[in-house]
Formats: sequence, C-alpha cells, structure tokens
Amino acid sequence: MKPIAKLYTALIFLFLFAPIIILLVFSFNSGNSLSVFSGFSLYWYKELFHDTNTLGALKNTLVLAVCAALISTVMGTAAAVGINKLRNKYMKAAMNTVTNIPMVNPDIITGISLMLMFVFAGRLMGLSTSLNFWTMLIAHITFCLPYVILQVLPKLRQMDKSLPEAAMDLGCTPMGAFVKVELPEIMPGILTGLIMAFTLSLDDFVISYFTAGNGFETLPIRIYSMTKKTVTPKMYALATITFFVILVLLLITNLMDDDGEEGKQRRAERKAKRHHALGNRGKERLAAGVIAVALVVVIAVSALGTGQKTLELNIYNWGEYISDGSAGSLDTIKAFEAWYKETYGQKIKVNYSTYASNEDMYAKLKSGAVSYDVIIPSDYMIARLKDEGMLLPLNFDNIPNYQYIGEQFRGLYYDPDDQYSVPYTYGIVGIIYNANVVDEEDIGSWDLMWNPKYAGSILQFNNSRDAFGTAMYKLGIDVNTTDKSQWDQALQELMTQRPLVKAYVMDEIFNALESGEAAIGAYYAGDYFTMADAQADTVDLQFYYPDVTNYFFDAMCIPSCCENKELAEIFINYMLSEEPAIANAEYVYYACPNSLVYENETYIEDMGEDVMEILYPPMDGFAEKYNQYAYQNLPDEMLSYMNTLWESLKIN
Amino acid sequence: MKNNLTREEKRIAWADHAALGPYSLWALLFILVPLVFVAYYAFTDNSFNFTLENIQRFFTATSSMAQDDGSMREVRTYLVIFWRSLKLAIISTIICLVLAYPLAYIMARAEAKVQKTFMTIIMIPMWMNFLIRTYAWMTILQDTGILNNFLTALHLPAVHIIGTEAAVVIGMVYDYFPYMVLPLYSIMAKMDIKLIEAARDLGCSNAGVLRRVIWPLSLPGVINGITMVLIPSISTFYISQKLGDGKFFLIGDAIEGQYVANNLHFAAAMAFILMVVLLVCMGLMRVLTNRHMEGGV
Repeated sequence: MKPIAKLYTALIFLFLFAPIIILLVFSFNSGNSLSVFSGFSLYWYKELFHDTNTLGALKNTLVLAVCAALISTVMGTAAAVGINKLRNKYMKAAMNTVTNIPMVNPDIITGISLMLMFVFAGRLMGLSTSLNFWTMLIAHITFCLPYVILQVLPKLRQMDKSLPEAAMDLGCTPMGAFVKVELPEIMPGILTGLIMAFTLSLDDFVISYFTAGNGFETLPIRIYSMTKKTVTPKMYALATITFFVILVLLLITNLMDDDGEEGKQRRAERKAKRHHALGNRGKERLAAGVIAVALVVVIAVSALGTGQKTLELNIYNWGEYISDGSAGSLDTIKAFEAWYKETYGQKIKVNYSTYASNEDMYAKLKSGAVSYDVIIPSDYMIARLKDEGMLLPLNFDNIPNYQYIGEQFRGLYYDPDDQYSVPYTYGIVGIIYNANVVDEEDIGSWDLMWNPKYAGSILQFNNSRDAFGTAMYKLGIDVNTTDKSQWDQALQELMTQRPLVKAYVMDEIFNALESGEAAIGAYYAGDYFTMADAQADTVDLQFYYPDVTNYFFDAMCIPSCCENKELAEIFINYMLSEEPAIANAEYVYYACPNSLVYENETYIEDMGEDVMEILYPPMDGFAEKYNQYAYQNLPDEMLSYMNTLWESLKIN
Repeated sequence: MKNNLTREEKRIAWADHAALGPYSLWALLFILVPLVFVAYYAFTDNSFNFTLENIQRFFTATSSMAQDDGSMREVRTYLVIFWRSLKLAIISTIICLVLAYPLAYIMARAEAKVQKTFMTIIMIPMWMNFLIRTYAWMTILQDTGILNNFLTALHLPAVHIIGTEAAVVIGMVYDYFPYMVLPLYSIMAKMDIKLIEAARDLGCSNAGVLRRVIWPLSLPGVINGITMVLIPSISTFYISQKLGDGKFFLIGDAIEGQYVANNLHFAAAMAFILMVVLLVCMGLMRVLTNRHMEGGV
C-alpha cells in the first residue's frame, strides 16, 4: 500500500474505533459518569456480573440473534436456490422485488407494520398476549432474510451450471448433487449471510422496540429504557467484554481458516473454480461447527424454557427503577423469587421488563398485545388507565403491608378511594445548577431557566409534558388547563427560551451537568445527588425548589390484562416489606412513601441529613399542594394538541 | 428411459419449488401483509372508518417557525420535518460514499489476508450495541468533550459540534459506514484488474481509469451502498435525540412520537408516505442506473 493509502485507512479506522476506545476507557471508571473520569477501577465489571437483569437481557439478545440468524440462513438459502432456478421472468422479478422490500423500507416502517399486524392477528384470535418472543423472532427473521438471499444469489449465479449436471450424470441424486456440489460452492455466501444476519439481529433496536412484548427484553430495549435514570458505565463494561470476546473468536477463526481462505478464492475464482471447490474443507468444517454449537444452544434454551411449568409473574417498570443487586444492594427480583419459594413452596419466575416513559408503557398496554401483572406508572397515567378501565381494583387483604403507607400519601387525586394503586416513590422537580457559573442572586425561581445571561448553558426537558410544565409554572398557569390559548401561551414561552437552550434532554442531563457542559437544568430531586456524586472537579452542583413545581407519584398497579392477580398482590405486598422497600428507596434515590423506610433510622443515617432535607421537604399540606400542582390526565384532545405544539417547537 | 428422465426432471422442478415455498409464504405473511396494514391504518380513523384526514394532515398541518432574521413564518410542519430528514440522510450518504469508496478500493486491491483483517475491523463496531456507540459519541463531541480537550491541548480553537446538524450527520455516517463499505468492497473485489491495466496501457490517465472503468463497473455496489445507508439514516430517531441535543426533530422522531402518543393511525400515515416516497425514489434510481449498465443487479 502507498503511504497515503495507509494514512487514509488509519484515519478511517480511528474514526470507526474512537467511540469504542471511549467506552473501553470509561468502563474502568470508578465514578458513575460517562464523561468525567474519576479513576481506574474494575467496579462496573463486578457490578455487571451481579446484575441478573442485564445478563438476562444479554442472554435474550443472543438467543434471539442465534435463532433468527440460523432460521433466516436456512430459509434464505433455500429461497435463493429456488429464485435462481425460476424460469419465469416475471416470477423472478416479483420475487426479487419482494425480497428488496425490507431493505428499501426503513426499520421504523418494518417495525410498525409488523406490530400492527401482530396486534390485529392477536385480537382476531383472542390472545391476551400477541407480542412475545415469537413475534420478535418473526420480525428478526423477516429483516435478516433479504441479506442472506442477496449474499447467496450471486454465488449461485457465478457457479458453473454444468457442475451439478455432471454430478447427476455420474449418478448423484438431485439432493446429493446439491449437498455435494452446489452447497460447498455457495458456502462462502451462506456464511457471510449467516454472519450478517446474526450481526443485524444483535444490533437491531428499532424493529425490536415496536415488536417487543411480554417478559422478553433484549439489551437494546433495556438500554433505551434507561432514559429516565441514566446509562451507567456498566453498559460500557458489557460492550468492552463483547469486544474482547469477538476479538478472540475472530482470531481463532482466522487461525483455523488459514487453509481455505475466502480472499484468495476471490482472486482465484475465475482461474480455478474447480480447484477451490475442493480446497474448501476448512471453511466447511468451521461452518458446520458454528451451526452445531448454535443449534445446541437453541435446543438447550428451548428445553429449559419448556421443561418445567413454573408460575410466572410479569413486571413492567421504568428503567433502572428497582434495586438490582448492584453495589452490594439487594437483588429485589431474585430475593422475591427465593422468598416466594420458601413461603409457598412453589417455584416462581419473574419476567422483568422496562420502559422509558409512561407513554411508551401506555402504548404497549393499549395495543392489547401484552400482558403484565404489575406496572408502576406515574400519577396522571394511573388516572388515565383507571378512566379507561385498564386497571383492576386491588384486594388489600393480600396487601397487609399497605398499612405502612403514610396517611398523607393516601386519597390523592389520581386514586381518591385508594382502590387501584400502592405508591412506590414520589418526588419533586427542582432546579440543578452549577454554582461556579450561576450567580447566587439569579437563583430561586423558574426565571433562571429563561435567564439570557446563561444562554447556551440551559437544559430543558425532552418530554412534552414536563417541558410545558416548566413554562406553565413560570407563568402561573394551571398545568392541567384545557384552555388552548393558555397552552399557546406556554408554547410562546418555550419559543422564547429556545435560543437559550443548549439541549433538550432526559438522561443526557446527567452527563451534561456533571461535566460542566451545561450549567442549569430541571430534574427530579433524587437525581441531583447522583449527579453531584459524579461531578467534575471544576463543577459545583447545587439544587433548589422553585415555589411552585411538579410533584409526582409512581405507584404499583395491576392492569386489567393481569393473568394472576393474587400473585401480583403478593408481589406488591412484598415490595412494601422492610428490606426490599429500603433497598429500592436507596437504589432509586427518590422519596419513599413507606413509613418502614422514611422512619427507619439506618436509612435516615445512610441518606444523610442534607439528602433527607431535599428528598423529604416539610410535609404540611402536602396532599393539597400535590393535588394542585401535579400533572393530571388531560383529555385526548388536549394531549394531541400538546403534541402538535411540541412538534412545532421542535421543528425550529 | 425417456419416461424416467422426465420423472427425474419433475422431481428436480418440484424440489426447486419446494425450496422456494417456505420463503414465499413467509414473504407474503410477514413482508406484504404488514404493509397492507400500514396502508389500512393510514387511511382509517380511530374507529376504522375510511378517511383521508391523516394523509391530509401530513401535507397541510402548519406551525410557525423562527426565521434567520428573527421573524416568524407559517410553515408546513411535517413537510419541514420530512425535508430535514431527507437532507441530513442525503448528506450522510454522500459522505459515506466519498469516505468508503477509496477504502473499498484499497481493500479490494490488498492481499487476501489484509482484506480479511480489514473486513473484520469494519464489522467489529457493529457487534457493539448501536445505542451505546452513539452514547460514546456524545462524550467525544460535547463542548467539554474529548475532541475539544484534544484540540485545546494542541492550542487549536475548540469547535462546537454537539447539537448541530453536523453532529447528527457524524452519528449517521459513523453508524452506517459499514453498510456502504461492504457492498462496494464486494463488487470491487470481483472487478477484473486486467481491465484497469488495459485502460492504462491504452493511455488512460488515473482519473480517466477511475471515471471510465472503475466507477461504471462499481455502480451496482454504489447503488446497494446508497440504499443501505440512505434508508436507515432517513428514519433514525435515536441519533437525532442524542447527538442533536433533542433539537433536530426528524421524521423518525415524529413517527415514534405519534406512536407513543397513541396516534397509531397518523403514525401509520406518516410511515405510509415515507414508504411510498422511498419506493418511488429507489425504483427510479434503479431504472436510471440499469440503463447505464448492461445486465444490472
């Protein structure tokens, strides 16, 4: 290679690997930031191996990718052989066009179209859960198929047609000729197709997002649903391990493969077709090996899945919203499973999935294609679900621990008779600012987020309801107004703010404030401490509540699609018992309405005085304030109006 | 004997059809029928009565948009969003093509061993989750990020990239680059080196060889590469959220937003329009290039 070519290649590779170097480095971060490096540590690797949910999601992702790759390779190869032999010109053109459709269609359309069909078919057949592992598998096979076909077809076309004929003349059956002559010839194409299918399935997010259902959570979906809390370096650690595993695998295959090289073949193809068909043994063996291993994995997994009929409980919660065993904390789900077995002598399996927003969760539930037993929506969403008959009234005989919920947290607007929900966490939105940048005299109210002095350093919610909320609190408008002109007014306020805004954020706020990239942002109180813990040396994060602001509750509910209500109630009750309740409160870092927690001395000590002060501000008239300033469910018409306004803010 | 032969032939023909059978059924059920559903939802309202309202809304909904001089102007919301998505996707595709073309050529002309290694290097990033890779780009590109620290250390002026169109384009180019290299490489590896040598022998300049020999021969790969980059980048909704600082609302964001707001019918209408536009564009592109090449893909 010429030096200039070398330099060029090196630059491209640097570009391709820059983010990978970053995640490699930050996976060894001792802090929990993705942009401030506080020291070398293996902490996140340890955490990763204790995180059963993430490992479970990894397993799901791999199982899905292996199944999808194998099935699409077998079906796609057969299809390519068939297409290649089609004599009818129009049939051939039609097949080619159909094959091209998933490639020419954006992921989002493939995802939505399959989702619409699955949901429809599920309703037609009266299934309670039409989205599950199988629908995801179907979706993945569907988008992998064209890639396999397009890898195999050219190899078939290049093949000398007289070869299989010669084999048959010499007494081979058609099948025998295919296996002995054609298959080795097209094997490189099949293998490339297999690898591509596996890679695409592994990396797919969009199609999985739309077709994902009950209790089968893949890694990309899990990562996406971390958008309310934050993505931790744990995920980087996982990516780093993946990187090295792949590297080792590739080195091994390269070594094994030395005798039957594809690259050389390409050159030699024209000259020595016959020769390379024979010299292809190494590759063939490798392929057989890979497929065999994969098959064993699939069979083992499906055997595990069907072997024993255990009780199942499907939980649907916010991302990063339950104590999961990290940092030596309690692994709530595991602990529940163990506790249940001990108490009732029966094995139970909890399928735990996560969502990124109330609306995401609602969209899935409303499609009628999933079935969850316990969900943890926010207040206004509870009101909505209740109004639409999507929640079941709870039987409190099964939830004796409800007695520990503080009096002041009962009878709140979203569930005035305390029939449908058990509060899990609550919190207040406040403003976080960098005291090294923001002057003392500017703080105290919402005006800080509109202060032109800090143009380019202000962060606004990337979530329509919360963003409009900030403007409405500032203007003194009722956040639940159904007067369109008041919403227009709020939009005007957001438009005025737009030139000052650095970014519209959710979880990105953590990085932006920790690193000093931005100086001002509104977020949920508990998260302030997470940020302050990880802040860079040059940053001094502080926090205050404006006089009117948003209060929120997230509460455990049982949706009407629940299949085992009593079990769900037992789970809710368990979550209210002391050990898991404290573990969750410490993990989630929001205020907890359970007196077993907020009156517990160890908890109070663990949290520290300043944390307690911010998380649990004085309670006088809490319910009143809450009922006045919390978001309530808006009528559909208002929601869609808000959405339109939001879009018009965003097109600017 | 003759009888026997036709039987044999019949068997072969039957086997070929059988090979195609499962796929045909699959394609019908899971490729074609779902598209019918998109159309069905796009042209119906919430109670599944026929309506053109969703389609109309896409073309007629307006909102006011700030102009460069600070004044406000009424614009068609979704057309603006659509145009922006198209623009960023086209820019990303062109950059991908320009960056990938020489690389694919270098690869195709290298030794077999090097080819393989390069291939591996290009594929590896795809095995790491795309959401995570995009996240890592945030760390690089932000104002106080790695890139700017590096520039400052070299006494160069810092650059503001995050939250601009450039950041979104970088994210798209990065994520879809392999999809451009692979088809280009596979077509160039098959190219007959003798053709190039012959052109040189006949007095063609380097530029001439590129324009008259290499480029036309590589066209099928170029078309495939363009398709594979343009399509995903036009509809992405994660890259714009993360690297665009939430300021670049693309058609993918709009569709996802309507899905989340439970307006399935309008989401389907947008998807339907996007699909039609892309199918027409791709079809046109293939027809035009097929005219330039004999045979075609």
